Amino acid sequence: MAGFLSAHGYAPGPTQRPVLAGAISGLIATLPAIAILSAFGSLAVEGAILGLSTLRTVGLGVPVMALAGALYGWLFGRAANDRRGGWLFGMAFGFALWASGAVMLIPLFTGGLAPAGKAAIGLFLSLVAWGAALGLLYPFVHRPLHESVEKAAERTGPTTGTRRMDRR
Amino acid sequence: MLRVVAFKKAILAGVVGAFAWDATSRILSVAGVPVLDLVRELGTLVVPDGRPIEWWPPGILAHALVGAGWALFYAYFFWGRFRWPPAIQGLAFSAIPALLATLIVIPQLELMHLPEHAVRLDWRWYLGGLEQTKLVGLLVGHAVFGLTVGAIYTRPVGYPVDRRPNLRCAARRNRSRPRGKRTQRDGAFIFATGIECSYPTIDRGRWRRDEMDGIRHYDVWQQDFALAREIGVSHLRYGPPLHLIYDAPGSFRWELIDEAMADLAEYGPEPIVDLCHFGVPDWLGNFQNPGVAPALSEYASAFAHRYPWVRFYTPVNEMYVCARMSALDGVWNEQLQDEAAFITAAFNLTSASVRMTDAILTARPDAVFVNSESSEFYQPCCPDPEIEALAAIENERRFLPLDLLYAREVSDAMLDRLKEDGWEDDYRGFMARKAPRRTILGVDYYEWNEKLIDQDGRKRALGELFGWYVIASQYWERYRRTMMHTETNRIDASDAPRWLWRQWHNVQLLRRAGVPLVGFTWYSLTDQIDWGIALSEAEGTVDPVGLFDLNRDPRAVGLSYFHLINMHRDRPEYRECGALMELLA
Repeated sequence: MAGFLSAHGYAPGPTQRPVLAGAISGLIATLPAIAILSAFGSLAVEGAILGLSTLRTVGLGVPVMALAGALYGWLFGRAANDRRGGWLFGMAFGFALWASGAVMLIPLFTGGLAPAGKAAIGLFLSLVAWGAALGLLYPFVHRPLHESVEKAAERTGPTTGTRRMDRR
Repeated sequence: MLRVVAFKKAILAGVVGAFAWDATSRILSVAGVPVLDLVRELGTLVVPDGRPIEWWPPGILAHALVGAGWALFYAYFFWGRFRWPPAIQGLAFSAIPALLATLIVIPQLELMHLPEHAVRLDWRWYLGGLEQTKLVGLLVGHAVFGLTVGAIYTRPVGYPVDRRPNLRCAARRNRSRPRGKRTQRDGAFIFATGIECSYPTIDRGRWRRDEMDGIRHYDVWQQDFALAREIGVSHLRYGPPLHLIYDAPGSFRWELIDEAMADLAEYGPEPIVDLCHFGVPDWLGNFQNPGVAPALSEYASAFAHRYPWVRFYTPVNEMYVCARMSALDGVWNEQLQDEAAFITAAFNLTSASVRMTDAILTARPDAVFVNSESSEFYQPCCPDPEIEALAAIENERRFLPLDLLYAREVSDAMLDRLKEDGWEDDYRGFMARKAPRRTILGVDYYEWNEKLIDQDGRKRALGELFGWYVIASQYWERYRRTMMHTETNRIDASDAPRWLWRQWHNVQLLRRAGVPLVGFTWYSLTDQIDWGIALSEAEGTVDPVGLFDLNRDPRAVGLSYFHLINMHRDRPEYRECGALMELLA
């Protein structure tokens, strides 16, 4: 997939700020995720597994998800601006976070403890919903963050792609 | 955007695939084969101890939703990457969800069914895996899903020729009214871009490729024009969809473009209207039809009367390329691979161009004609008389439509060939004609235009060997017409800014050499679809060649072009382009 993205010119370009846009979108997307976690009782279970209070679990989770959003912006680059497909890319990213974080890493760092039952369902749904919200929000959050064409164009003069020659 | 994805088709494929999987599971189950019932696993999460009638609806709904998601993922990232039959592509893709299901999803589903809130797992649980019979069932289910999705999800772009797309392009939305009226400096050097608008047919005339549809221009034309203005271009190569407008003889659906044309008239950029771009309406068939020229003449006349303010026209775009791809390389329209068919197409296209020109001149006597043609050059690889002869034929053939259009006599060998095919009278007719004074020879150039004929007589792309300056000079020497660089781009987006400046330096050098050169074009405004495979199949792959991507976000080359235009347009030699002023006088 990375090769395919790369071949199709996904490098964001000088006007875009994908990491910032991803971080902000990731932050906002935690709202529905927290709502789902609460509804399924997953937050308390997750806190118990990690040995943290519910509040601290949320406090830890929010910046982590902002960071994950920034990673999403960096990874998906220009493709993340796709208003039609963004939710799908975000969901895929949310699924990947669930598979790597919730499924693999949490048991690894807690001596094999893993959420089960309703709590496990909530955890899965919250991350997929977080991803979908991230992908949906990203293009709209990113647009006003763009640098203006006039300003960015100053860095794209006729020396683009040339090499300075040393005096011999 | 990476891919043009047919959302409805992909979702349908995913849903049908999920149902096909479930049906297969039930049949195997009835036959006594132990399989993993995924719908039951999902449904009983919602209705834990329910009867089948209770768990099946939520189970199949969840299964179908997941199926649709995977099918969309397939459509974006997998479809068309391999030259395999569609169903086999789907089958290969199904290995990805099958692997994830086996390693992650199914074990997690087991956990989700437990009554506890948390459990302690050990490595044996992770490595235990599925029972073999269930694993086989899971793989079979995924295979059925993949085959179904692959079989259904094909051709995400274009449409059958007998079915019109549901165009939503007519209405102008007021919310994005441009700020200023069109301010045009007559005689200033032309900085142009274009909206990619090719519409040939493939699959023996059954499937229409429509680039404007693929890049969503019909939906966002107002935004596209605004972006062209933002970059600062003075002119826009613009090809209204002939195949959709020209319904039947004497019948035109102008309502499809009236609003767009009014917007260009009022706010700019000034359009260079491209009347025929690699295709004709279904009822005209293809370029073997001698009826194409009179029909297109009628269309051109009606167009010029409908929009009398339009001054710049390209009657037929890249006649050589169109004839070659349609009748010699067998890719578009008539899809023939025959020298005689190529000559027929070349004569019909040139005849159309001539008659359209005459028709436009009747309505607008001061019209300017930009005859865009792809510049080509063939280099023999080695001193082999056969290879050299092949290169010579190709180098002669590339000029045929322009030779006819500009009444320049062809070589003796080519003339013999024309006589042999019965074209001598038509040829003499072309030679007796005088091209209008206000004519610009547009020379397009891409990195694959220079070709090497190898030892086996096959063509290979040489890259930029001699460059636009040298190739365009050949066209200048042959026709001595006012010229314009009418198309270039670079498929490697990261290298596009460098390519832009190189092309521009070629333009500057040719001007300094005394050639009357009046314009430059980066083609196109947005990314294009499937030009990497010459529109030969409906893949939907985005080629990142635009000043803007298909999300309408600027690419680096868009910023470079903005910079280039700002750097030059107010300089005296570009503010008043002598050659263009002379032409317009």
